[in-house]
Amino acid sequence: MHNPYKPIPMRIARTVVETDDQSLKSFELTFERKADQEKFFSKYRPGQFCQLSIFSKGEAPFGVASAAWEGDFVRFTINKIGVFTRAIHEMKPGDTIGMRGPLGNWYPIEDWKGSNIVIIGGGYAFTTLFTLAQHLLAPEIRSQYGDLTVIYGAREPGLFLYKKVIETWYERKDINFYQTIDNPREGWGHLVGYVPTVTKEIAPAAENAVAFVCGPPVMIRFTLPVLNELCFPPERIYTSLEKRMKCGIGKCGRCNVGPKYICKDGPVFTFAELRELPSDL
Amino acid sequence: MNQLTLAIRREAARILEENIVDVVIGFEAGTLPLRAQPAFITQKEEAEKLMYSGFCQNNLASYLTRRPKEERIGIICRGCESRAVRALVIEHQHDRDRLYLIGIPCTGIIDWRKIERQVGENALQAVEEGDEVIVTTRDGEHRFQRADVLHDSCQRCLHPNPVGADIVLGDPLPEGDPEQAWAPVLEFEALPPEERYAYFVQEAERCIRCYACREACPMCYCTECFVDYTTPRWAESMITPSGTQAWHIIRAFHQTGRCVSCGACERACPMDIKMTYLVDKLNYDMVQQYGFEVGASNEAQPPFAAFTLDDKNRFVR
Amino acid sequence: MYKILSKAGLPGLIEKWMEQATVYAPVRQGDFTQFEPLDDPAQADLYYTANTRYPPKALFLPQSEIMFRAKDGELESTEDEVSSRVILGIHSCDTRALQLLDGVFLAGDYQDPYWAKKREQTTLVVLGCADPCETCFCTSVGSGPFDKRGADVMLINIDDKYVADVRSEKGQALFDHLPDASQEQVVTSRQVQAAAAAKMEKPFESEGIKDKLYSLFDSDFWPKIQQSCLGCGICTFLCPTCYCFDIVDEAQRNERVRNWDTCMFRIYSQEASGHNPRPTNTERVRQRIMHKYAYFVELYDEIGCTGCGRCVRYCPVNLDIRQIIRSAQAWEES
Repeated sequence: MHNPYKPIPMRIARTVVETDDQSLKSFELTFERKADQEKFFSKYRPGQFCQLSIFSKGEAPFGVASAAWEGDFVRFTINKIGVFTRAIHEMKPGDTIGMRGPLGNWYPIEDWKGSNIVIIGGGYAFTTLFTLAQHLLAPEIRSQYGDLTVIYGAREPGLFLYKKVIETWYERKDINFYQTIDNPREGWGHLVGYVPTVTKEIAPAAENAVAFVCGPPVMIRFTLPVLNELCFPPERIYTSLEKRMKCGIGKCGRCNVGPKYICKDGPVFTFAELRELPSDL
Repeated sequence: MNQLTLAIRREAARILEENIVDVVIGFEAGTLPLRAQPAFITQKEEAEKLMYSGFCQNNLASYLTRRPKEERIGIICRGCESRAVRALVIEHQHDRDRLYLIGIPCTGIIDWRKIERQVGENALQAVEEGDEVIVTTRDGEHRFQRADVLHDSCQRCLHPNPVGADIVLGDPLPEGDPEQAWAPVLEFEALPPEERYAYFVQEAERCIRCYACREACPMCYCTECFVDYTTPRWAESMITPSGTQAWHIIRAFHQTGRCVSCGACERACPMDIKMTYLVDKLNYDMVQQYGFEVGASNEAQPPFAAFTLDDKNRFVR
Repeated sequence: MYKILSKAGLPGLIEKWMEQATVYAPVRQGDFTQFEPLDDPAQADLYYTANTRYPPKALFLPQSEIMFRAKDGELESTEDEVSSRVILGIHSCDTRALQLLDGVFLAGDYQDPYWAKKREQTTLVVLGCADPCETCFCTSVGSGPFDKRGADVMLINIDDKYVADVRSEKGQALFDHLPDASQEQVVTSRQVQAAAAAKMEKPFESEGIKDKLYSLFDSDFWPKIQQSCLGCGICTFLCPTCYCFDIVDEAQRNERVRNWDTCMFRIYSQEASGHNPRPTNTERVRQRIMHKYAYFVELYDEIGCTGCGRCVRYCPVNLDIRQIIRSAQAWEES
């Protein structure tokens, strides 16, 4: 019987310091066993997360930050905030780490073929939106969708993730990419302003469009009304929730909100679904 | 209807009507024959539901740190509750000016488990009549001498009379006999260490770490208890002898000179674990070595929670 | 099929079972009864009233369970460290609770192997309650003192005998060789069962409770009823349908362990950022009640409470769930 609590062994192939203040680091993990790799990629879809496990330090959930076509690895971008993440930050290429996944539901873009996609992200929450954008940019996928608009805000230029990749998005014709920072900075060549304000200015059309929004609660709180004004209905606005998780598979009760488990029935929800959930979130 | 209940209702209604307090904490009838429920009333009309009996087994002072800080609180206080209130005020957990203590000299709390051990778990009705407790079960009536079915802590109670109360309802009772009260401590201490340890291990073994003892205790009010710390981790949450024994020992030590010997911890425990014997010894040492008894005065600080510049510091050489 | 067994013959039967399996039964220990593995059939104390304090769910979801042992960098699962077991004398409420928990542990995309293997290896010989206790309320939550759901065998006590209602292959393996019960005995056993259920009062009406509780979510009901709750873990730990757990690495013993956890503790939902979605006792009490009587109903169309009465008896402040549900049903927002 498959034991869903048992992590598979992964090896750290590459680490990239993403932010200038060193607080965010990406880890690209490869599979020790080919069978695990095949199983993973047969199920994996953008928006899902995995539990990373270090014995003696515990486990924690992280959104997957790479699209399948990027290679035989799985990328996680990790913020150094506690005992567990501090331990991961100290790991180097060659070290092994446990992983359980892919877990949870995913961004259901299969349901929206032919639509225009609007992606709005702020801060560290951009990880799975990056995945979604990357997934959509694969040639055989891209042609199935309409316009792709990505609005990505960070406090300062140094805090953007995946800088090398997103720079190339400006040169592409198949993606309308907008970066914005909170306050003007010398040498900054892109937009200035909070994400909700910038979204309002860019005014992506709601007709035949679906939006994916992730960011700090304050950003979401002010972006939603903007999307409302632009006539995006709540069933066409998706977000990814975070909550304290332990088992990641809907058994231990920790991430429960009303009748739902964030790890099993989420983490991706539409705003229409969120409205139905109790407020102890 | 006992006189005390009527007096409590009158006083509670009065202090609410005269806007002396925002809430009165007392007891109301429970849903089980041998029990009562803590009650929180804010309107004078609600005073009718207050009652008092030997089945009121909770230390109401444990609610003080759970109420909003600005609330003015009227509270029914027996001996142990009033001493806990004093201790909480000394520890700056509450403002005495915002409290109104309705003092009740206490004849002890009836231990429902002592009764059930003898007549089974299906009591239908229970009444106190003078020195007796009459319990009706499915197979008829059973009579107990009240003194025989009091909770252990009440049988050893030194101070049944409330201290520092704003009003005392009922007649004062004789204070307890210290020799009788401390006798179990000395008896236990006289046992060989292996026996004492075996007893401790045996009691702690049943513990399911529900922390009811902590929550029922008026003096355990830390917003983050030491058992919840992960850095450093003082006691593991797993049910192991080391984790559980650490829990019991450290909690007893944290209660030294603060515990009012009310026994609420034992009454709350679902596994019938004895635990007052640990802190009773520590409190005994406080009396013997520091002349300190919790709740005895309005000013004296608990020796392990305070210091003065001329402390003897015998342990520092 | 119905078999007949004399009370006097039970110890001999237990001994037979002990040749192939570990037999658990209620055993008196000091002042109370607990499920323990038997060394000797005479230890079994089947006539415990009320309920065991500690719920027999612990035999399937132990309060502390080692999930993995770390050896040379690998985590080795303990899921197969389970042997054949018979649990004798478990009541309907606890048996039904196990069945409800199957819905959590066995359904969906992932099955919990620790739970699954224990369930597979265990035969439940249920002793129905002919004389339900004052604090029992199984009939109010869609169950009853002789609820057979989840039982491999249901024993019904008639005079000095048991009628054994054998309901599964596992049960058959234990009772097959016994004589069949007579028609008269079966009829008597049915009368005993009906009489037991009829004796029980219904402290509340559960019809519509899910919708009523949802409608009360933001009301003053919760701040009011939670006042006496101390926020300890007794109700959740003694509850046969509570299942929340925490996973912890005990590095010093090379173990990854799971321990019962409770939504009644403040740190249960505390997040690393400091945010706590259930910051006060009000939210936590609301969560507990709504999980059992609303969210569980939403998910499984069954009330997540089997009326065993342990929380009623052992709550230190006599906060009575029967009274809470009754008040909720009657609550009118002013």
